[in-house]
Amino acid sequence: MRRHLAMSAVVIAVALAAAVTAAGPTFYVDDPIAREPERKSAAKAKPLGIDLFFEYSFNLFVNASKKPSNRRAGNINTVDEVPDSSWLVNRIGSTPLTPEQVARGVNSDTVPSPEKWTLLREKSAGTNPGFTAKDANGETWFLQFDSPDFPEASTGGVEIATKLFWALGYNMVETFITKFDPARVEIDPKATVKRPSGARTPFTRDDIDRVLERAARNADGTYRASAGRLLPGKVLGPFRYSGTRSDDPNDLVPHQDRRELRALRVFGAWTNLVDWKAGNTLDTLVEEDGRTVIKHYLQDVGSSFGMANNLHEWDMGWEYYYDGPATKRRFLTYGFALSPWQTVPYTEYSSVGLFEGDRFNPTVWKPQTPVLAYIELRADDAFWAARKVMAFTDEQIRAAVHTGQYSDPAAEAHLAAVLIKRRDAIGRAYLPAINPIVNPSLGADGRLTFENAAVAARFAEPPAAYRAAWARFDNATGATTSIGRSDSTTTSTMAPGALPDSSGSYVQIDISADSTAHPTWQQPVRTHFRRTADGWKLVGLERLPDAPPSTPNPAPRATKDQ
Amino acid sequence: MFRRAAVMVFAVLAHATALAAQDAPSRERVIEEAEQAKFEALKPAAPGKAEAYVARISDMFLSGQMHWHAFWQNAYSGGGFTIGAGYTRYVSSYNWIDVRGSITPSGYKRLEAQFFAPDLFKRRGTLSVLGGWREATQVNFFGIGATTPQENRTNFGFTQPYLGATLEVFPTRKLFMVRGDVEVSQWNQGPASGSVTSIEQVYTPQTLPGLGASPIYLHTQATVGIDSRPARGYTRRGGFYGVTIHDYTDNDNLYGFNQVDYTALQHIPILREAWVLAFRAFAQTTYDKSGQTIPFFMMPSFSGGSDLRAYASWRLRDLNSLLLQGEWRANINRFLEMALFYDTGTVAPTPGDLWHTSSKADYGLGFRFHGPITTPLRIELAKGSEGFVLNFSASQVF
Repeated sequence: MRRHLAMSAVVIAVALAAAVTAAGPTFYVDDPIAREPERKSAAKAKPLGIDLFFEYSFNLFVNASKKPSNRRAGNINTVDEVPDSSWLVNRIGSTPLTPEQVARGVNSDTVPSPEKWTLLREKSAGTNPGFTAKDANGETWFLQFDSPDFPEASTGGVEIATKLFWALGYNMVETFITKFDPARVEIDPKATVKRPSGARTPFTRDDIDRVLERAARNADGTYRASAGRLLPGKVLGPFRYSGTRSDDPNDLVPHQDRRELRALRVFGAWTNLVDWKAGNTLDTLVEEDGRTVIKHYLQDVGSSFGMANNLHEWDMGWEYYYDGPATKRRFLTYGFALSPWQTVPYTEYSSVGLFEGDRFNPTVWKPQTPVLAYIELRADDAFWAARKVMAFTDEQIRAAVHTGQYSDPAAEAHLAAVLIKRRDAIGRAYLPAINPIVNPSLGADGRLTFENAAVAARFAEPPAAYRAAWARFDNATGATTSIGRSDSTTTSTMAPGALPDSSGSYVQIDISADSTAHPTWQQPVRTHFRRTADGWKLVGLERLPDAPPSTPNPAPRATKDQ
Repeated sequence: MFRRAAVMVFAVLAHATALAAQDAPSRERVIEEAEQAKFEALKPAAPGKAEAYVARISDMFLSGQMHWHAFWQNAYSGGGFTIGAGYTRYVSSYNWIDVRGSITPSGYKRLEAQFFAPDLFKRRGTLSVLGGWREATQVNFFGIGATTPQENRTNFGFTQPYLGATLEVFPTRKLFMVRGDVEVSQWNQGPASGSVTSIEQVYTPQTLPGLGASPIYLHTQATVGIDSRPARGYTRRGGFYGVTIHDYTDNDNLYGFNQVDYTALQHIPILREAWVLAFRAFAQTTYDKSGQTIPFFMMPSFSGGSDLRAYASWRLRDLNSLLLQGEWRANINRFLEMALFYDTGTVAPTPGDLWHTSSKADYGLGFRFHGPITTPLRIELAKGSEGFVLNFSASQVF
């Protein structure tokens, strides 16, 4: 309680501070920023674990019943974009990427040398069997194998998902598919294994056998493995999907309000990343540009696509581990109220699993447990994420899938085809859901041009008209003075009157659209332009304002359980 | 904590006020000021109290340090609600011993110690050595045969010291299994306690074989089977087909006999395990040894909670038994399953008579709280010709 009160006081102080600074300008000279400063040293941060059982329970029985706060994402810049940070580096959709770059991802040229493995420890997390080992070059890797029932699935899944999430901007671990030959294995003299008794005793040959008994074996006696490179820096443990680290001065925005974490709901739906939990993340303390900062990683993304490592997991991606409405429905009907996962047709490959794109609906997709960032996704967050997903070309997707090195070309083709279908389903669901005006530009002659992301992607018909409300904007006070309105049937319109021409002056333009099919487009996208020596510069874009918590979240959500 | 919070509040407000007074600050500077404010009030990251508590419990489980556990198994079927506890300790990296005991309001008691080695023969086999003592005070006996009336109910009691070992091996790791058991025990049959008529008031040793006997058995058994279930404690697919041959050798050559058990069970998932049809057939046949008698308390019977669920435990007894069970299970979620079930069973003096003798049947509804491979709680309401019975169990029915 004391801790709660103290934190409340700090939150109130931050709110007061915001009010105080709100008396200043709306836009600063460096808006919109492209990168979070993150200038303070986090050297005092200490490792911290997160209990899996507690996290799952909290997610299922507390978070699952929470209403979204409907707060705007806290880490976006003034043009509704996510600046680069220790969490995310904008890549696809922001930077041109070739299919080869997507396929390469974060990986360097230094690949594992599987001629000899020296085992250091057992694998301590996750369901797939594995080891921590040094390769022939003495570099440390985390090896994990496929289940005998699903050969190539886990290793391929990790490889592909790592590439896709890297392209989406996340910090990822370098991962390679390699070979593990038990005949070329040594055990480090200091290697130990934690036993069920709790004791740590020397690693033995029998421990190797114990792990490999649960792994898919190649015909030549070797094992296909996924090798994740040891990250640089000091490992601090996982990050939470809510709150902030109290020992990281640069961690100012509650994680549930970070757009890139909320957006994992969309990216997770695309890739079916069901095992969305703190345990699959990692914070490391690293030196960058002379500063000690915490860098945040996604790791172990192999639960993507249709992986089914365990029994009875037909419902993955469709229901939480415990799902109240579905439980009630099946209880009352003795299971006759079928859920989609019971009837959806799958083309099954053991290396891909249960993954399909025809019945996929991203708005009702569910991970195994709902983290708070998942709950807090708003329609503008989803729009941002959907544009990232839609930025993947078919070629880029196929290039990423090819890195899974599936022996069955049909499995590879199937996985790529499903990812393409699901990409389109995401665009179809989220781009037209709110006003999809993007890339507004104001010419020196007063001509406003923009694009309609939903129409451009052919997920919506052009609206009957676009409407622009123009105003002079006082950056010091926030006051506006109307200039007039201009309507257009195209994505271009002229200012209805004279615009201010002095450097440093601002205009505000609210752009909405009339579409009977999409009434939400009447909610204007509010843009702000600043006059510079080179013309008008976009400094502000607000797709959706903050809404009070009582207002229904405009994000397309499942109104009932599937 | 409040002092730290106060410092932070002051710092945040001071910086914000300073910023507002400055001319044209930058966005970066605003953020940096907030970072500075937090920097001045950093504190170690730590889990909340609830999480720390749960984490401590989790660690104890995962590190083999959770020694005490509940023990719900009573001394013998029919003992009623049971409380008990056990203490487990690893004696090597994987092998453990467990000392446990339980008691019921009706005086059923059990005290035993088990050594368990789960990883023999490169994880193909398990070995269990179990020794202990138990007492059952009010075991039902309704007479021998399939048509005994409910009113004939009497009770008997027994105490039993036992020591045995079980070795189970899956030579190919999957499917094919063999199991061997050897046990030495003494069944000291005696009068019952409680309000029900004690057995010796109705029967004599001449009318009921084995009444008052205390045979010391060397019990050996061997099982061969095909087991395709992913787990025994809870499954939605696979089956088990097996035969077990028992030899009960009486130290005094008075009550020795042989017994053969036949088991067939199958789980058939429907529509991605929306439902599971589960079937079980179980037959026991006994064969006396020349000149020896099978005592009444060793005859095949039905224990109640997992077979004829609407009937009192040990409702039917005879030299042979046959049980057929069917369940229609509905998957409610990953932790809860419902089941509509039907049981029918009978006993007979010869195996051939099992098909011609009248049987008892029941049906009912059950709820099972389960994990991926275990069933910690099973609650079932069963209805038979003798009324309703509510069963609680900590194991899978089959």
